[in-house]
Amino acid sequence: MKKLPPSRIRVVACRTLVVFSCAAAPSRAQSANAPSPGEPPAFREVVDETGRSVRIPQPVRRIVSLAPSLTETIYALGLDDRLVGDTDYCDYPPDAKKKTKVGGGIDPSLEVIASLHPDLVLATKSFNRLETTQSLDRLGISSYATDPHTVADIMSSVKTLAAVLGVPEAGASVAEEMHHRLDDLQQRIGSLPPKRVLFVVWTQPLISTGKDTFLADALRHAGAVSIIDSSQDWPQVNLEEVARLQPDFLVFAESHSGDASREMAKLATLPAWKIVRAVRNHRYAVTSDAVNRPAPRIVSAVEDLARQLHPKAFAEKSDDAKKASGKVNPAFHPMPFMLVSPGHAIHAHLSSAGGCACGR
Amino acid sequence: MRPLTFRKLVFECFFLLVILFFVVVVALKFGAVPVSLYALGRDLLRVLLGQTSQISSDYGLIIQNIRLPRIILGIIVGASLSVAGTSFQALLRNPLADPYVLGVSSGAALGAILSLIAEPHLALPPAFGALLTPLCAFLGAAVTITAVYFLGRRQGQIESNTLLLGGIITASFLSAVIVFLMSTVNSSNTRGMVFWLMGNLSTSFQKSIYWFLAGGFFIAAGVIYSTANDLNVLLAGEKEATHLGVDVRRVRFVVYMAASLLTGLAVSVSGAVGYVGLIVPHVMRMVFGSDHRTLLPTAALGGAIAVVVADTLARIVVAPNELPVGAVTAVVGAPLFIYLLRRRFA
Repeated sequence: MKKLPPSRIRVVACRTLVVFSCAAAPSRAQSANAPSPGEPPAFREVVDETGRSVRIPQPVRRIVSLAPSLTETIYALGLDDRLVGDTDYCDYPPDAKKKTKVGGGIDPSLEVIASLHPDLVLATKSFNRLETTQSLDRLGISSYATDPHTVADIMSSVKTLAAVLGVPEAGASVAEEMHHRLDDLQQRIGSLPPKRVLFVVWTQPLISTGKDTFLADALRHAGAVSIIDSSQDWPQVNLEEVARLQPDFLVFAESHSGDASREMAKLATLPAWKIVRAVRNHRYAVTSDAVNRPAPRIVSAVEDLARQLHPKAFAEKSDDAKKASGKVNPAFHPMPFMLVSPGHAIHAHLSSAGGCACGR
Repeated sequence: MRPLTFRKLVFECFFLLVILFFVVVVALKFGAVPVSLYALGRDLLRVLLGQTSQISSDYGLIIQNIRLPRIILGIIVGASLSVAGTSFQALLRNPLADPYVLGVSSGAALGAILSLIAEPHLALPPAFGALLTPLCAFLGAAVTITAVYFLGRRQGQIESNTLLLGGIITASFLSAVIVFLMSTVNSSNTRGMVFWLMGNLSTSFQKSIYWFLAGGFFIAAGVIYSTANDLNVLLAGEKEATHLGVDVRRVRFVVYMAASLLTGLAVSVSGAVGYVGLIVPHVMRMVFGSDHRTLLPTAALGGAIAVVVADTLARIVVAPNELPVGAVTAVVGAPLFIYLLRRRFA
């Protein structure tokens, strides 16, 4: 038999898929139109956060995630056994690394996604491209996209997503847990004046974060305010402006531990950076990569930052903290999220990061 | 050859120096942080008199530690690129040649990006950590220069067309490697790399680097200037030059190496700032004529002016944010080049 060139195979595969989905669609649509009593409809029509209306097969048994934040959310909702594929960048919880990889967020392999036969592909606007979801549409694969811009958005996004995936209770309890912890934090540091910080995405050239990002909002929750007031999401900032505004702290999100302290030592040798007092005095805070991801774990990153920026608020009330954590954990433990990301791991991270903060 | 009157050279250079001076004053005055002319003059006087310890205000420190070093960097980068462009245009006898045509910038960018990928895994002393990227960029440029040189040789001699084609292919190959690397590394790091590729003068260096750059510029530009007469003769053609007693092989080698060195120095501290090395030599040739004895120094000053102006725009157009200076030079440079092209043939 003559071997088909790869492009032909792809065309054939696509056609088969299209035919398959066309054949499948009417029967499902009928059942959606006239659901027999007591039986849930086979399709659900929802509008996702980017305003696209999406038909989602019910129940969702096979999920592909196209962003690390969505992978984390799925684990937090306890749906990791339904996650059949994720991206190369999905590294948390560690178990996510073992899932089938569909490539990067910008350029996932449609072939691999199709071969996983997902009921639903999850995407997020800031990490993925619209073209990917359009291509998936043409292949008859449903996709749902999120687009959170604040921490509150992340919570409501988790809830909506959980409802779409058929586990509204898990979504509600994850969101409530996030809410609870943020409220708790607010009680400790809400009355304190916010620290003025420079969030550092990149140092040379200096790139920071704009005011409309969930990152800037996360800083606000951590008792900090970014000195950068830009409507661009990732502005390149003039160092003069930083020298004029003199932030109290520099804030780094590091993917390798030790990056931030090395970076600070480096900056302290440069004439232009030396005139920023926070650099001269080694005042900086470090958080994990979680702060870059619009997922439930961002709350841990926020708490982590708050601890470093307002150490006194935590030192004075350490007894209360024990009580509070004792109060929090029982409600939190039954949830699968805690099983895959045990509390002690988070606390170990907290104490290590807190230890190197501020250099004092 | 028309005799060069010393007075003409001095007059032209003085004229450009005056423009450069005003451009520098304007560049010092304007920025994200407003500074009064009086405070500016007072602080500059102190810098010149070496009384830097008396500068205490934040504004003075901003001028001294951020704005002035950046302007000096712009002057060196602009002058280097422009002299390199002039040299390559003469050497390759091709009006489209610019400092990047032979792939030097891609080599430097690859070196820089490799260093950015490797840096977190190396435990370097902080003072050296800040130097790693420019150093690797320069190494990348040097390796590319050598490779292209050997690609451009036929029967032991450099041939313009072979060199040009070899350089272009090397550049596109290296760009492909960069794209490959950037699409495989962790996405959070690519943002800084992209900005690096677009050309940027916002990087701060230790003081010694500026001396090193200035020294490198004067040595390489001096070497090129010593061949100015030979470059003039080369314009008439290689055979003619040989007949007139020019050692074409030696001139080619020397100018190629010196111009590449200039490009490497500029790229290693600023990324690829486009169009300066292409357009400034053309403008200077139109204004002051194509005698390399005047063209080389005027091009150096013109390049410095162009880059300082472009960087000032990059700093103030969207202040307090900024643009990569390469974006400014490209947006202004491309239409300007088309205008010059149409005017020449009109």
